[in-house]
Amino acid sequence: MTSSTDHRRWTPNPWDIGFGVVTLAASLVALFFWFPHDIKGGFVEINLAGRLEPGDAFFPVLLTTTMVILSVVQLLSVALTRTQQEPDTTIGKLTPANLRFLLLFYSVVLAGLAVMYWLGPLTTALLRGLGIIDQSYRELLDTAPYKYLGYVGGGFVMTAGLITWAEGKVRPRAILTVVIVLFLSLLIFGILLKNIQLPPNADF
Amino acid sequence: MDLVLEYVVRGAHGVFFSAAGDFIWLPIAMVFIGVLLGIVIGAVPGLNGPFAMALSLPILISTFGVSNAALLPILGFLIGVMKGATVGGAVPAILFNTPGTPDAYLTTLDGYPMAKNGQAMKALKIAHFSSAAGDTFSDIVLFLTAPVLAVFIERILDLPEKSALIILSLSFMAAVSGSSAIKGLIVGVLGMLLALMGSTLSGNGPRMTFGIIALGNGLPVTSAVLGVLVISEVFMGIEQSARDRLSRVAALENPLSGDNSFGLKDIRAIMPRVCTSAVIGTIVGALPGIGTTLAATLGYESARRLSKHPQKFGTGVPEGVAATEAANSAVSGANLIPVLSLGIPGNFAAVFLILAVESVGDFTLGPSLFRFTEIKNVEGYGMIINKDLVTCFSIFTLMVLGNVFNWTIGSWFLRSLGVLARIPKSVMLPVVLLITFTAVYAQDGGFVAIWIVLVFGTVGYVLRKLNVSILPFVIGFILSPKLEELVRGAYSASGGDSFFMLKSPLALAFLMIAVAIMVLAGRRKPHRVP
Repeated sequence: MTSSTDHRRWTPNPWDIGFGVVTLAASLVALFFWFPHDIKGGFVEINLAGRLEPGDAFFPVLLTTTMVILSVVQLLSVALTRTQQEPDTTIGKLTPANLRFLLLFYSVVLAGLAVMYWLGPLTTALLRGLGIIDQSYRELLDTAPYKYLGYVGGGFVMTAGLITWAEGKVRPRAILTVVIVLFLSLLIFGILLKNIQLPPNADF
Repeated sequence: MDLVLEYVVRGAHGVFFSAAGDFIWLPIAMVFIGVLLGIVIGAVPGLNGPFAMALSLPILISTFGVSNAALLPILGFLIGVMKGATVGGAVPAILFNTPGTPDAYLTTLDGYPMAKNGQAMKALKIAHFSSAAGDTFSDIVLFLTAPVLAVFIERILDLPEKSALIILSLSFMAAVSGSSAIKGLIVGVLGMLLALMGSTLSGNGPRMTFGIIALGNGLPVTSAVLGVLVISEVFMGIEQSARDRLSRVAALENPLSGDNSFGLKDIRAIMPRVCTSAVIGTIVGALPGIGTTLAATLGYESARRLSKHPQKFGTGVPEGVAATEAANSAVSGANLIPVLSLGIPGNFAAVFLILAVESVGDFTLGPSLFRFTEIKNVEGYGMIINKDLVTCFSIFTLMVLGNVFNWTIGSWFLRSLGVLARIPKSVMLPVVLLITFTAVYAQDGGFVAIWIVLVFGTVGYVLRKLNVSILPFVIGFILSPKLEELVRGAYSASGGDSFFMLKSPLALAFLMIAVAIMVLAGRRKPHRVP
């Protein structure tokens, strides 16, 4: 059996270099392009009493200059210090597996949020089209069950989706937990706490 | 001394009675509920006190509003959660060998073997006693030292020195809390920069908004902090669960078959270790950014070294459980020393207390808090009194109440929570995600808050993956407005001197120490962020 030490090599970590390069580049872009266009006040200004005082750009420029210096130090320290690194380590870097995870995670969460946003309005539009109700979703925002539709539907899709993905199977007990949590959330946020608006109702 | 006593009495009175003299139960009830919730949250693997504080804060603000009257109930709840969670963390560690937090791993070393030997209940009782004792000791140190430190700081520090002190604190946090001090400081500065979006101090309109109108009022602080702290943890936890397919933990066959009594003899046996660990935890807690893991490690290690039978540690020794729990719980009170005396948060729990104070009422933290202004009535003006100091003593009273609840009902409640420790992370974390979305939506009133939480959650996830501590980022984000105010004030007071920070010997000394810390930390070998 080969020990992991045999695979180690003394090389600069490319992710440490990348970190320094990205922060250095972002700081320079902020200093020379972003701030001049997005901060109306100057670095220093002369007030009505004729005294020099800091403008709105004063502190952001100080901070960003500090970031430039620190980024250069980061790059120099990586260049001068040889880090003992295991080639197969996943610590200290983003792997393709991490990016795949983010993509999947966002897919499930955004699907849940889309259901949360649209379920209420679409249901009321459908019921209105069928002649069952007369009002729009906006007019029914304070009326049960319409005001809970999006939250319950979207919340279920999001939480049940994530649990099923994380566990690799559909477990009735997990689904039951989601239903209980949603019920308790409705009880607390929708009924007990009167001045709280559940998503998506504040957006309509 | 009479003046101090009068402030103390007025502070305590403010918790129990309204301005009209009527008894009020709300702050007491909020501490009580907070302690219970904190114990529950601490007992669920993957959750911890700051999680619960983060989720509760927007809901509390939406419920109680932002008036001065809301401050004590809200702080009471958060303090209760903070205290309860330090106790509850021992449950999954002892019963299921599942450390919910890195410091609880050390509790598993002797707690789980005790449970396997049929002494689960005894291990829980020891954990509770040690945890409550460590927390109480730490609170007493806080009550005694914070005022002295604040008065000292207020006397000797002016604007440049206070600015330099914040820079020193941030450098220290970056140095001790992450794998790389420089990277930690870079993200600390980045956090400061992001906190400035949408703000203005010169009346020229919001700055750094990319023209996005929704950013005109700045980034919602709670949503941003919740994103980095809570959502990034949810990302990490779900990713791990999906990778490992962790769902269930094995239950012990008969955890109560052994000797589960806990009496005076046991207390006498563990007390020396509890005392040593409480002192260690308090010292570690008073230093910003170090956290409970180091305190627990040092506490456990010192108990092992001082023990007459060090070889038995790890096989189910009560002193091992006691030392760890006393040390990590003693961090929580001492962590408020820099919060109250300097206005600088040292850990995530303190961040949420500061956020609550900044969002609710007109209470101000920092060195001026402990100004013992003579209390007198001036005709035609009213009473002259330092109201912030009275509120501060009310907060101390809430902490004492939290300790009382922890000592009295904590042990019983803790022992009834074994079932919670079996809830898998894969179920809890998506539920936390939904509650986070609900909480920020309720506070900020729209989907923008949810997008901000997700963006900051992704930032936190990427930083964690790059092995960069998120603590300096969050602390930088919180302290940025205060540091800007101090730096601008110092610059103006110097008459526009470019070297305004370097003219004061003390400020210069602070900055040099900050540089020295960074250089020393730079020589340290990188390690994994817990």
